[in-house]
Amino acid sequence: MSFFGFGQSAEIDVYLDGQETRKTAEVKTEDGKKERLLLYYDGETVIGKVNVSLKKPGSKLEHQGIKIEFIGQIEMFYDRGNHHEFISLVKELARPGEMIAHTSYPFEFSNVEKPFEVYTGGNVRLRYFLRVTIIRRLADIVKELDIAVHTLCSYPEMNNSIKMEVGIEDCLHIEFEYNKSKYHLKDVIVGKIYFLLVRIKIKHMEIAIIKRETTGSGPNTFTDNITIAKYEIMDGAPVRGESIPIRVFLAGYDLTPTMRDINKKFSVRYFLNLVLMDTEDRRYFKQQEITLWRRGDKVRKPNIQSPAIMAGTQNLENTAAVYGHQNNGSQNETEADDDNEEKSENAPVKEDFLRSQSTDQLNNTVTDPFDHANMSPTDRSPENQIQNMKREEGDGQNDIGNDVSVE
Amino acid sequence: MTKMPTTPPQISPVEEQEKFLHDALGVVKAQAFHMKRALDKNKLMDALKNASAMLAELRTSLLSPKSYYELYMAITDELRHLELYLVDEFQKGRKVPDLYELVQYAGNIVPRLYLLITVGLVYIKTNTSLRRDLLKDLVEMCRGVQHPLRGLFLRNYLLQCTRNVLPDSSETDADSPEGTVKDSVDFVLMNFAEMNKLWVRMQHQGHSRERQHREREREELRILVGTNLVRLSQLESVTLEKYQKLVLPGILEQVVSCRDAIAQEYLMECIIQVFPDEFHIQTLTPFLKSCAELEQGVNVKNIVISLMERLAAFSQRSDSLGTEGANILQEVQLFEVFSDQVSSIISNRQYLPPEDMVALQVALINLALKCYPDRIEYIDKVMLSSVEMFQRLGLEHLEYHSSVAKELQKLLKIPLDSYNNVLVVLKLKHYAGLMQHLDFNGRKSLSIYILTNALENETIIPSPDETEQALTLLGTLVSEKNENPLGEVDLEELAEEQCLLARFIHQLKSNVADEQYLILTMARKILGTGGPLRIKYTLPPLIFQAYQLAHKYKNLKEENWDKKCTKIFQFCHQTITALVKAELAELPLRLFLQGALAIDQIGFENHETVAYEFMSQAFSLYEDEISDSKAQLAAITLIVGTLEQISCFSEENSDPLRTQCALAASKLLKKPDQCRGVATCSHLFWSGKSLASNKEETHDGKRVVECLKKGLRIAKQCMDVSVQVQLFVELLNHYIYFYEKDNDQVNIEILNQVIKKIKEELPNLESSDETEQITKHFNNTLEHIRVRLDSPEEGAVYKGIEI
Repeated sequence: MSFFGFGQSAEIDVYLDGQETRKTAEVKTEDGKKERLLLYYDGETVIGKVNVSLKKPGSKLEHQGIKIEFIGQIEMFYDRGNHHEFISLVKELARPGEMIAHTSYPFEFSNVEKPFEVYTGGNVRLRYFLRVTIIRRLADIVKELDIAVHTLCSYPEMNNSIKMEVGIEDCLHIEFEYNKSKYHLKDVIVGKIYFLLVRIKIKHMEIAIIKRETTGSGPNTFTDNITIAKYEIMDGAPVRGESIPIRVFLAGYDLTPTMRDINKKFSVRYFLNLVLMDTEDRRYFKQQEITLWRRGDKVRKPNIQSPAIMAGTQNLENTAAVYGHQNNGSQNETEADDDNEEKSENAPVKEDFLRSQSTDQLNNTVTDPFDHANMSPTDRSPENQIQNMKREEGDGQNDIGNDVSVE
Repeated sequence: MTKMPTTPPQISPVEEQEKFLHDALGVVKAQAFHMKRALDKNKLMDALKNASAMLAELRTSLLSPKSYYELYMAITDELRHLELYLVDEFQKGRKVPDLYELVQYAGNIVPRLYLLITVGLVYIKTNTSLRRDLLKDLVEMCRGVQHPLRGLFLRNYLLQCTRNVLPDSSETDADSPEGTVKDSVDFVLMNFAEMNKLWVRMQHQGHSRERQHREREREELRILVGTNLVRLSQLESVTLEKYQKLVLPGILEQVVSCRDAIAQEYLMECIIQVFPDEFHIQTLTPFLKSCAELEQGVNVKNIVISLMERLAAFSQRSDSLGTEGANILQEVQLFEVFSDQVSSIISNRQYLPPEDMVALQVALINLALKCYPDRIEYIDKVMLSSVEMFQRLGLEHLEYHSSVAKELQKLLKIPLDSYNNVLVVLKLKHYAGLMQHLDFNGRKSLSIYILTNALENETIIPSPDETEQALTLLGTLVSEKNENPLGEVDLEELAEEQCLLARFIHQLKSNVADEQYLILTMARKILGTGGPLRIKYTLPPLIFQAYQLAHKYKNLKEENWDKKCTKIFQFCHQTITALVKAELAELPLRLFLQGALAIDQIGFENHETVAYEFMSQAFSLYEDEISDSKAQLAAITLIVGTLEQISCFSEENSDPLRTQCALAASKLLKKPDQCRGVATCSHLFWSGKSLASNKEETHDGKRVVECLKKGLRIAKQCMDVSVQVQLFVELLNHYIYFYEKDNDQVNIEILNQVIKKIKEELPNLESSDETEQITKHFNNTLEHIRVRLDSPEEGAVYKGIEI
């Protein structure tokens, strides 16, 4: 690149080995568009060639050296000046000198550690890229190439169901159960809701998947809640004793793995929000954190015969060996998962429902493959205050970590 | 310039409904159009989007069940295009991957589940190995719709879609992925239970003042719930055993536990209607047990009765077909089971109105009659349990117009109507006891019914015991006791009733004479309690029966027959005396005379004395009891007539009787009566018979003429000329009669004298109807003589007559 249109200029092209066959992943850019990037995993070698072609053949290009960097960095949108690089590897491609013809420089970053997944959120972006720089006196010639990184997990050892009894005293008692606390991104949430007491006129019930992005620390913490999906699971008012099945396929939604405290800069966590709406449009909700993880790329061919797809709630009892509950989603208790007696010790905790007036305070970007028309028009209403945070009498177990009051 | 907000024009709820429906149908039409376009272009995702938008119309809460139904029909009609397209594609091998998952991304549950069912059906149709699991999944997922109306229609859609794909094989391999009939039963039962819950829930929603409206809406929707049962009944692999163990218990459990009267009543009726009778017969006990557990408001009576009627019809049908059905009936003890269960229903259901209890018994009797027409003890058993039931309830003297009484009447009439034989009714030990629970009027009307039946069928009561039973049964008509304490006795009504009873008495008849006698004495004993108003009607037929019996003995000429006859006439005498004591006169008089005639004809030993006694009784009645002059004349005429017929008296007895007659006649109060009386008496001396005349006519011409002369004398004493002339004409007739009978004391001169006398007086009469009649009578008489004169053989007789 030249400033004044004179002098030699060069074009840099980065070629990665096997890029024709390498898998790609869709990554959102800052302006919300999506692009497909080559996909790498943690520890994978990034190898390729840098081709530098001169724009004016015959004339030489003088430079102070050519280098290639592999950079992983976190960008805060409110603090554009400061990028936090958590990885920065440099390879020298050429010593200072002159270039007189197209030149190709092989490079290799072997077994690069890529601890985090690429992410683009409301306030923060985590990206990996290769940067080639031809250092010159006046203006360097720079070329950046983004790559995608996915972090894979193996099946979590502990994956208890989430089972809980919640309610509003003398109005509503329900017991709900999700079959797991950790779901991979193509998983199915199977669960059920059992109504123990119904004294309010329920209109419908839905499950919302909420993504909470937290950036910064201390007083400068920013939290961004995004409703990824709204999924109606019940229409009409049940009576005592009814049980309602839940089945939510995650594959269709725009989800990322749960990210906790990434480089002490940000977190992305996911919550299932169970929302009941009564006939006067009051909402009662209970949020539960779930952990999302990316499964190793063993191709899952969703098959109609797989029990997950038709999973009725009758299977729940089997999967719910332990009634665990999530402690801010960060850690699990470590009971054995097959002991009935243990199960009773870990009796479900009674919880209070939260009630808010009218609508959800969350943004709504529901991704429903073909049903956009019916979303509530009030989704963008201002935040509501939570009212009537009642606790049940005699409930001594509340203090065992439940995030009852999410604002 | 600001406009004031105007209130929208008022529209009626009906119009409002029409508008809502119209709008919704408009959306459906548009979306269906786009859906079909998309399908034509093979754009499945677009088509699904349109289908989902179309189905979203079913989320409405604005429509009444009727309008919602219309909308539902329109939409499901359109969905069929989608289904056909998918089945077609799948069969061509172009499977859409993950379609079942894909449709589950629909954010709203109602469209989602309709799509899921549609797609699920496509999967089942193209790959039966998924059938069992898919059915389970679909019926389970539908739980998400808890709104009654929307839920009912959704599940109805499920039921409609799966109509032809339910597994219906009885394979023992329970793990077959295609499923067996058991899976179908589980599926439908689950759907049924959920639909029923939704349906019942409608009852408890909304304001209580809209209850009627709500119940009407529920009525409109009940067919949706009932369709589940129809579906179950259509499964061919549901054998009797499966029905007993699986289907019926499942249904009943749900019906009983829903505790909703409307649902219970409808569903029980449904069970009866949709399943075959062969099943019902084998499952009576559980079914009826459940009936006993139904809610208070349920009309259990109708349910049980409807079942009984069906089975009764079935039994008749299979009787005509022959063996098989009859075998089942024997095996099952239809009656016993019903009988036990009915009594347990009655004892369990405190709130069952008594009329319903009785109606159940009525149905039970009908059943017994239809299925076991020859088992009369069954009827008796029902009656016994009815009696016990009334005793337990403490119900006595059911008021005539109350519904219980009406039912009881119905019950009591059944055996009569079906057997048309009072004797069968008499065999029922508890009939009378049950009848006692009616009040007086009720019993009376039933008695009349029984009587009428007996009369129409000409049922003969052939023994004293049965006579006793019958008459006891008819106590309200027979006896004076139990008299209705209220109100006056309506004499006309009483007469009518007693006439029936009197007719019935003629049917107390045995072929064996001795037996007949016992019958009569028995009847006499009971009828005697009827009091003067009744015995007037009831004893005479008895007496005539006795007279007939005496004739019979005479014909039989058995040993001791005349002693028996004596006894019979003693019985008659007593009976007639009872009528006398009831201050009756003319009737006993006639009966005595009739008796005397009978005695004369039978002629048993000592009969003269008895006959004389009867005659003298008649006389003393005449003298003591009959005071009205017209009645006196009539009585004396009768006595004379009777005496004239009787031939058994010796001179010693007959003479005083004849003289007494003449005397009595001449002592009548009015001259015309006297005149006529003595004229009648004249015949005693001519055609009367006695032992003295060797039972030939007496032909005492002199005394005849004496009587007639006395008559003329008396006639002359009459002041009224027209009466006088009338009497002369009558006397002239008597004279002519005797003249023609060759009484030598009557000659032409006497006739001429009388004729002359009449001719003198006749013109002096004032013209009137009476005069005309007299003239006519006279002319006729003369005409008679003229005819005789003209006849060649007899013309000589009237020689010298002056007409």
